[in-house]
Order: sequence, then structure tokens, then C-alpha cells
Amino acid sequence: MNPIVGIAVKDVKTFFREKGTIFWTIAFPVLIMLLFTAIFGRDIPFNANIGIVNEDGQTPITDAVISGLNSTGVFTLRNFTDRNEALRELNATNVRAVVTIPQNFSFDLMFTNHSKISLVVDGTNPDVARLVEDGIKNFFTEYYKMLYNQTYNMTYYEPITVNAETSFVGQRIGYKENIVPGMLCYPLLFSSMVVSTGAIVYEREKGTLKKIRASPIRPINMLFGKTLAALFQTAISILVMTVLAVTLLTPRLNWNVSLLAPIMFLGSMNGIALGLIISCIGRAPQEASNAATTIGIVLQFFIGMYFPIEYLPIYLQQIGRVIPMTYAAQAIRDVMVRNAALNEIVMPMITLTASATILYAVGVLLYKRWVEKE
Amino acid sequence: MTSEKMIIEVEGLMKHYGEVKALDDVSFSVKEGEIFGLLGPNGAGKTTLMEILCGLRRFDEGKVNVFGLDLVKDPYKIRSLIGFCPQETLLYDLLSVRENFAFAASLYSLSSRKFKERVEFSSKFLGVEEFLNRRVQQLSGGMKRRANLAASVIHDPPIVILDEPTVGFDPNIKREFWELMKALKDHGKTLLLSTHDMYEADEICDRVAIMDEGKIVALDKPLILKKTIGGEASIRVRVKDDQVEKALKLIDKYNHIAKDNEVQVFVANPWETMPEISKKLISQRILTEKVEVVEPTLEDVFIKLTGRRLTEEYK
Ligand SMILES: Nc1ncnc2c1ncn2[C@@H]1O[C@H](COP(=O)(O)OP(=O)(O)OP(=O)(O)O)[C@@H](O)[C@H]1O
Ligand SMILES: [Mg+2]
Repeated sequence: MNPIVGIAVKDVKTFFREKGTIFWTIAFPVLIMLLFTAIFGRDIPFNANIGIVNEDGQTPITDAVISGLNSTGVFTLRNFTDRNEALRELNATNVRAVVTIPQNFSFDLMFTNHSKISLVVDGTNPDVARLVEDGIKNFFTEYYKMLYNQTYNMTYYEPITVNAETSFVGQRIGYKENIVPGMLCYPLLFSSMVVSTGAIVYEREKGTLKKIRASPIRPINMLFGKTLAALFQTAISILVMTVLAVTLLTPRLNWNVSLLAPIMFLGSMNGIALGLIISCIGRAPQEASNAATTIGIVLQFFIGMYFPIEYLPIYLQQIGRVIPMTYAAQAIRDVMVRNAALNEIVMPMITLTASATILYAVGVLLYKRWVEKE
Repeated sequence: MTSEKMIIEVEGLMKHYGEVKALDDVSFSVKEGEIFGLLGPNGAGKTTLMEILCGLRRFDEGKVNVFGLDLVKDPYKIRSLIGFCPQETLLYDLLSVRENFAFAASLYSLSSRKFKERVEFSSKFLGVEEFLNRRVQQLSGGMKRRANLAASVIHDPPIVILDEPTVGFDPNIKREFWELMKALKDHGKTLLLSTHDMYEADEICDRVAIMDEGKIVALDKPLILKKTIGGEASIRVRVKDDQVEKALKLIDKYNHIAKDNEVQVFVANPWETMPEISKKLISQRILTEKVEVVEPTLEDVFIKLTGRRLTEEYK
């Protein structure tokens, strides 16, 4: 057998029998995928507990408001008779907002055409506060429109209508469609790097590297064998993620395999090369694998996997733009979401090729230097 | 089997680790088909020397030829001619013995036909058949070491280098391993092995180089070493711990070496001197555990050459 293949086969076999690596390459992404599915795989990807204090008593209008809020699906309502008790629950963050329907709410609305609602929002989480506040305001606007419609039998117009449209090429983007391309970057970042770091560090620790080095296989071929195995393992993890994403989330995305495969290959090569460098620098095995994991965790914030790179402050964005993996993440998103054609992803592919080549060369040199130091 | 052809030639080999001189002007040659032993205490430089031959470590000065090839110029060719069996078991726990063999074979680009042949050889002569398909993690220590040895010769190399192949074995398994090594020799292999164990060196090595502090202090057939350097038979006296001093006073006039509660006495005619020493000890009421005449061993050779014992284990 060819020695490169021999090393790859050996690594893959061990991989399937090693619980730890299986966890990193398969179980962990699966876990994340399941979590994201639970979070984003719904029609309304948000739900908050809301306290309702109805001081107006039961009227057709308060009934309509409460059942209306209930039916949005965004809120889970909890009724309170005492406003102070509701506010205590708010302080304990058991509810995210307290809506108080004041006395005479129905009466005022019917006869003066103007009424007030009191809304207290939990400010400890700005994102939730904003969503809740917007949601409740929107609800009442819509409710008033409906009421107006019923009462006067004509359409209510706001003084200025904002005609909001979303620009998108191809399909409309939902949460799922946004998150899946990011998820597919996960194996590129973690699996590839952790696997390739482990591949060499493990052999060094066990001493089996001695056996390989005492054989006539050249260092570069040994690294090729390791790379082949790491690519295979990364591919498995991508495949698992893809299958899960498709079956659990059913996102409307373009699965242009002929474009995605090369991008993912190049992305993995970047991760593998990085892992190779880490395994030559890290002295103790634990040190190296910690380094790989930490770098992966840090990088995921920079490369725009889960949230757009624009979320970062400008100086962090600039860091993101020099990380090759950012281009992989972007290209994957472009292909899957925008149905980008080959000519649109040529630049990122060239960038990825260049960086993979450079990183790999550095890795090979470091490995050779390390081997020859003995 | 042994021919006069030298297949490993080492000349003026030097190796430093920082300040430590691990190898100091080492020169020797290994003949085709022989079992060549490196006998020396901890830190003598045996592992360093062997790993240099296998291309695992670099050296500072000197010249190494294997089958006429220069180690510096042709490292990869030389590596394919050597099977290296390091002291530690270098097998993958999660793979079966056969899978480990397959991996080792792939490193040497063995064809599948040749591989089959070699697995058969290992089963037949190296006794791995019963656990060929078991995972390494399920094997006993002895099985692992046997599999380790078999894996290191899976590519059928003409030279086998073994670093302390039997260290830590109980006597039975040691003997078993000696047989394995002799079997390899019978199949035409040249063996270079290191050991602390003078009996091992004596029993299986055709020639022995005695190493100490990075130097070869003597090199020849065990028998010749014992005869020429080890000298005649000597008397070994062992006394109760608390009587060592008293005994030493009596023995002082003879040429001797003492260690703990044991004294080795070198005299021209040990068979005649032994009763005399015995009598003296008894008359002084010194309780002896043992008084015997012993033939010279390689240990004696080492003691003569360095003034120290080879190891603490053999008393
Ligand atoms: N990698 C290393 N770095 C520094 N010093 C080393 C290294 N390897 C060995 N040495 C030193 O070189 C000397 C020879 O060591 P070596 O391991 O070759 O001896 P050895 O004869 O194999 O000993 P043992 O019987 O204990 O295996 C020792 O003094 C040792 O401390
Ligand atoms: Mg050693």
C-alpha cells in the first residue's frame, strides 16, 4: 500500500474507534445543530413571558386585546390581579414585560377614541426589551386599525405610510436560511483544526511518531497522509451537519455542490494547516489541543459564521477581513443564499488557496524543523 | 550464518546533548548475520547510538555506513533496510494486531502479496497467530511486546535494531524472546540489540560491545571478553549485613571488590583459596550466607574495565 494512503487509512480507522475525536467531529456539531434547530427552526423564532394586569375588568375590548396578544404566538401571557405582584415578577425576570390595562380603558377607547396602556419592560436584556416593546406596540397599532375598520367600516391610514421592502436575490431569507450556511462553517473551523492538531500531537505523545520517522516515508508524505485523513473527517462532519440541517430545518437554500465542495475543501485546508502549525508549536499535547479549541472559539466571532461581520466594531471587522476563513464563510453564504455563480466567488477562492498554501508551507517547515531538531 | 561482510560500519561517532557527551568517538562494525550486543549501564549511550542509526537523531561527527550507504547521504534508503524495535511498545491500541502490521507495512510500501507472506511468517515464527485479530488494548504485556517485534520486521529488513528488547520481562518470557531473536538470526537477519543484562548478552550475542559513558570500552565475543578481561574464576562471599566490616578485615589482603554485603575475591586459584577463606570466616564467627566460586561473567568484565557494576539488579 502507498504510505500516504496507509497513514490516512490508519488515522480514519482510529478516528472511528476513538470516542473523544468522534465527539469533536460529529457529536458536537450535531448538538449545536439541534440547538439551533430548536431556537430558529420555528416560524416565530421568539417567545417571551408577559404579565397582564387587567384593571378594567372584563369587557369585549379587553377580552379581544388579551386573546389577540395571546394569539400572536410571540408572547406567553400570565394574568395578574395585582400590578405590584406583576412588577415583582418582572424584577425577578420571570416575565419580560408587564402590560397594564387601566380602568376605563374600554370606555375611553369607545367614546373618546383615545386610550392608554402602560407597558413596563425588563431592561436587563436590551435585545429582548426591544423585541418585546416593538411587538406590543405593533400589536396595538394593528389592533386599533382593525377596530377602526370594524367601527367605521373604512380603512385606517397612518399619516405617513412607510413602504418597506426587502431586497434579496432569489429567495426570501428567514432565520433558518441565515443560520445554516454559518453552521456549515463549523466543521471547517473546528473539525479540521482540532483533527489535524490531534493527529500529530497524539502520535508524538504516544511515541508512535518514532516508528513513522524511522521508516523511509518522507516528512511531507507523512503530512499528506495526515491531511488526507483530516479532510475525510472534516467531510464527514460537514455531511452530518448538512443532512441534519436539511432534514430538521428544511431551509430554502441553493445546494450548489460543485461550488460548495471546492470552497469547503479550501476552507478545511486552511483549518488543517493552522492545526499543523499549532501542533508543531505547542509543546504538551494538552497545550496544543487547548490552543486549537481556543483559536476556533475566538475565530468563530470574527468570520461572520453566526452573525454578520458588520456587528463587530470597525477595528475588529478589520481583523475579520484578514482571516482567510471569513472568505470561506462569505463564499458559502453567497452560494447558498444568493445563488452566486462561479465568477462571483473566484476572488475568495483565490484568497483561500493562497492562504492555505502559505499556512501549509509554514506548517511543513515547522514540522521539518521540529523533526530535525532531535 | 555469519559472514565476514561488515554491513554496519560506525567510525568516530560523536553526539552531544548540550554539555552532555552522549557518544564519544564510537567506532565498531557489525557483521552480516550476527547478533551484535551493546551492553552498558543506564546512560551509556545505547539508545542514542541506535536511534542515530535509525535516522531518528542527528549526530555531530563521525561516519556511519550501512550496506555501504552513507547515513547522511542516503537516510531514506537506509531506513528501508532497518527494522527498528524501540524499547516502548509503539502500537496503536485501537487497531488490531493485523491492522497495526498493515500500517507498518504501508510505511514501507509493501505489496499486499508480500504483506500476506510476512503476516504468515510472523504467525509461524514470532508467535502472534493467536491474537492477530485482537485489538492491541486487549493484549497482555508480553503479547504486545511480541506484536511490537513482529511489526518492526514486517517489511523483512535485513537489519533489525532492538533497544532493550527484554527489559522488564520475567525470566520465562525473556527466554521466549531470546528464541525469537535467534529465529530472526536463523532467517538471515543481522541483529543489533542493546541490553543491561549480561546474561542476555552472553546467551544470544555473537559479539558484544561494552559501553560506558558514551564510549565502547571493549568489544569481542562474550567468551573471549570473559577469558581475557574477566580473568579467572573468583570467589563470591555473602555475609549477614551487620558483619560486613568484620569480614572485610579478613579479606582485605586479597584482591577484591565489595558491594553491600557481598565481596568478590580475585585470587590465582579460587578452588584452593575458597576453603581457606571459609575457615577464616567461621573461626571469626562471621555468619556467611554464601561462599562460592563463580566463573567470570560479562559483569566481571565490566567491573574490571570501569570499577563499577553494570546494574544493581544482579547480585
Ligand atoms: N534527548 C536528550 N536530550 C538530552 N540528553 C539526552 C537525551 N537523550 C539522552 N540524553 C543523555 O545522553 C546520555 C545517553 O543516554 P541514552 O539514552 O543513549 O543511554 P542508554 O544507554 O540508552 O541508557 P538506558 O540504559 O537508560 O536506556 C545520557 O546521559 C542521557 O541523559
Ligand atoms: Mg536506552
